[in-house]
Amino acid sequence: MKALRRMRKDWVIYAMLFFPLLYFVIFHVIPLYGMKLAFQDYRILGDHVWVGWKHFKVLFSSPAFGSVMENTIIISLMKIIFVFPIPIALSLLINEVRSSKYRKYVQSVVYLPHFLSWVVIAGIWISLLNPTDGGVNLIANLFGIPSVDYMTSKEHIRWVFVVSEIWRSAGWDSIIYLAAILKISPGLYEAAKIDGASRLQQMIYITLPHLYSTIVTVFILNLGFFMNAGFDQVFNFMNDSVISVVDILDTYVYRIGIGNGQFAYATAASLFKGTIGIVLILGTHFISKRISGKGVW
Amino acid sequence: MKKVSLLLIIAMLGALLAACSSNSNNGNGGNDPAPSNAGTAEPGASADPVTLKIVYKDEGTANPVSVKFFQELEKALQEDEGLNVKFELVDLAQGSYAENLNLLLLGGTIPDIIYFQGGDQQIADQGLLEDLTPYIEKSTYIKDIILPHNKTRMESYPYLLWIKPLAPKTPVIRADWLNAVDSSKALLENPTVDNYYAFFKELVEKKPGGDKPSYALTAAGDIAEINFIFNTAFGLDTTWLKKEDGTYEYSKVSQNEKEKLAFYNKLYSEGLLDPQFITKQWDTKEDAFYKGEAAVITGTAGKIIDLYDGRMKELNGDGANVVVLPPAKGEAQGFGATDVTKESRGLAISSQSPHKDIAFKVFDYLASPKGQELDRLGFENEHYTVKDGQIELNDKYYSEWYARFWEPLEMKSETPLKTPLLGEPGTQSLKAASDYYTEDNSFIIPEQFVANWDAMNNLYKEYSTDFITGKRNLSEFDAFVEAWYAAGGTDVTKYANENIK
Repeated sequence: MKALRRMRKDWVIYAMLFFPLLYFVIFHVIPLYGMKLAFQDYRILGDHVWVGWKHFKVLFSSPAFGSVMENTIIISLMKIIFVFPIPIALSLLINEVRSSKYRKYVQSVVYLPHFLSWVVIAGIWISLLNPTDGGVNLIANLFGIPSVDYMTSKEHIRWVFVVSEIWRSAGWDSIIYLAAILKISPGLYEAAKIDGASRLQQMIYITLPHLYSTIVTVFILNLGFFMNAGFDQVFNFMNDSVISVVDILDTYVYRIGIGNGQFAYATAASLFKGTIGIVLILGTHFISKRISGKGVW
Repeated sequence: MKKVSLLLIIAMLGALLAACSSNSNNGNGGNDPAPSNAGTAEPGASADPVTLKIVYKDEGTANPVSVKFFQELEKALQEDEGLNVKFELVDLAQGSYAENLNLLLLGGTIPDIIYFQGGDQQIADQGLLEDLTPYIEKSTYIKDIILPHNKTRMESYPYLLWIKPLAPKTPVIRADWLNAVDSSKALLENPTVDNYYAFFKELVEKKPGGDKPSYALTAAGDIAEINFIFNTAFGLDTTWLKKEDGTYEYSKVSQNEKEKLAFYNKLYSEGLLDPQFITKQWDTKEDAFYKGEAAVITGTAGKIIDLYDGRMKELNGDGANVVVLPPAKGEAQGFGATDVTKESRGLAISSQSPHKDIAFKVFDYLASPKGQELDRLGFENEHYTVKDGQIELNDKYYSEWYARFWEPLEMKSETPLKTPLLGEPGTQSLKAASDYYTEDNSFIIPEQFVANWDAMNNLYKEYSTDFITGKRNLSEFDAFVEAWYAAGGTDVTKYANENIK
């Protein structure tokens, strides 16, 4: 009742939710109905043929499925472990910059890569990592470290994904944490200063605890995309030398499903991915709720 | 605040309503497979025009050249054939053509004429493409211009028509560098694998460009382009090789393949093959050629070779004109066998179109001398001029125009051509492709093997790249063969032996 009263009072603000909700209904809820395609053979003319689990069986029995799943999980895990904390650290560092001009400059520079497409980023990184005249190897050579062909090395290519992902998204992803930091009451910092807390102590005992719920929410929501592993990135960085360690579920589905027009097969793979995503989101939410009392809702 | 918010909401609602109403005016819903004027069999000059919907890569309503071309075609069909046809270009979203076309067709919008660049088999399997064989048999012009490889492809897959000359990748080098090395004479007279090796070695050691080239040969991303030069010389002249006992073996797991990979490894380890060819794209490959980092690249025979020639001369002077090199000679000579299972791209007519006959008449008209003039030469006074009863092509033709439909090797024009359709290297490359034409024995991989075939191909790609770059020793080739058979090769080989005649 209280909520209804509040809604009636601020109806104009709530009415502005109409279009975002409409967007989600049209583009995210209604298409769920199309998921039934995963259990059908698609026919342009006439009725679709119900085939049950056929496409799932083909997917799971494919000789590439094991390695594709392994690559997807490894690449996603690496990104979660090594990419996820960087925007948090970056937002804390940006917050510590006193000069507002310099802070704006740093923010602009770190946001920029986000606006580049992976096609362009792949071109930049392939040049940068070139073993003969790439910047990274030239600098390494100065310190006596021999050149490495990172792009064709099975040992290094996944790390190239991690580092290039950090380069592209750390700045942009730090915005949400910076916004959360801005919400922290300045009075808390002033009180801490009076009590003699250093800058580091203020960061550890005031900023970080206030970021906790944002970190948990972003982490849980990111887990929902765990099985994505970054199609655009992998597709543009992939080459014949490293297929066995970088071929992920999305690139596999793209070749077999979309490339050959087997949309039902592609839908089955998407449904499989989506189901894992939901399980991960719900699982992490309930675990987090039980341990810390904080979750997505 | 509330007033401002209210105004914003009203403005957004207004915009939404406006967008909806403008869409509804477009009329044609996405799920309407039938073109307009259904039932009009033969449009006379005075009857209402028959509308033919056509979907074609890069030919949308936003392209003024396409719009003009189809308007000119409408006029020509009316004047020369008495056909009252109106073309409606179907626009596709930006991005991969094959994917967007698939989405369009699977969404239920099926134009009368469809250009495919992959993904057609799924559509043909659903009975949505017309068998063109009877139309070709009854045609006035197409049956005379259809090329041997088109004919064979139409026999096994009669849904796609693409009358274009064979266009394998042919190796090219700039003439001044070719003439600057001593081994070129031996190469041109007798292009054995050894002579190719000696030629590459001299190019890199002698560096006819001062400090260039850095390496003799490069390719875009994999060895497929280089295979056009060397596969046949190593006896890899068909996808399935006939063994002494009469059975067939997949060429990529044969001893011949092992020998070829050993040769590529030699080129790579001696710096004759670009150490970065794996990460090269088509644009960086061409850039390396123009800048002189690579001496030899391969390009699609015909117009592409002419474009290389023009660009090379523009950047490095007239002496740097491009010369086509012969394919390597060994067990045999050629640019590899031509896949004749089906056209990999081409034009199809929808089986659901009520105007199938008229759509094919358009195809046939474009094979006639008048249709060929329009399609292959462009617009009069824009791409060519007629002087003293002869057609003179201009620079705009050479730099911009391309035939959207048929390109038989010989063009029968009512007005004689004063200037050739292609430059010297382009013509030379097409002639070489035609001279070395042989048919492959490959077949369409059945659906039950598609997923395995993908895994097997990836296995080959990775092993072969590792063998070439030296990451794996060629002594592991047998292990690769074993893994290939285990990944599904046994079943596909059995299928090949049962089906190759």
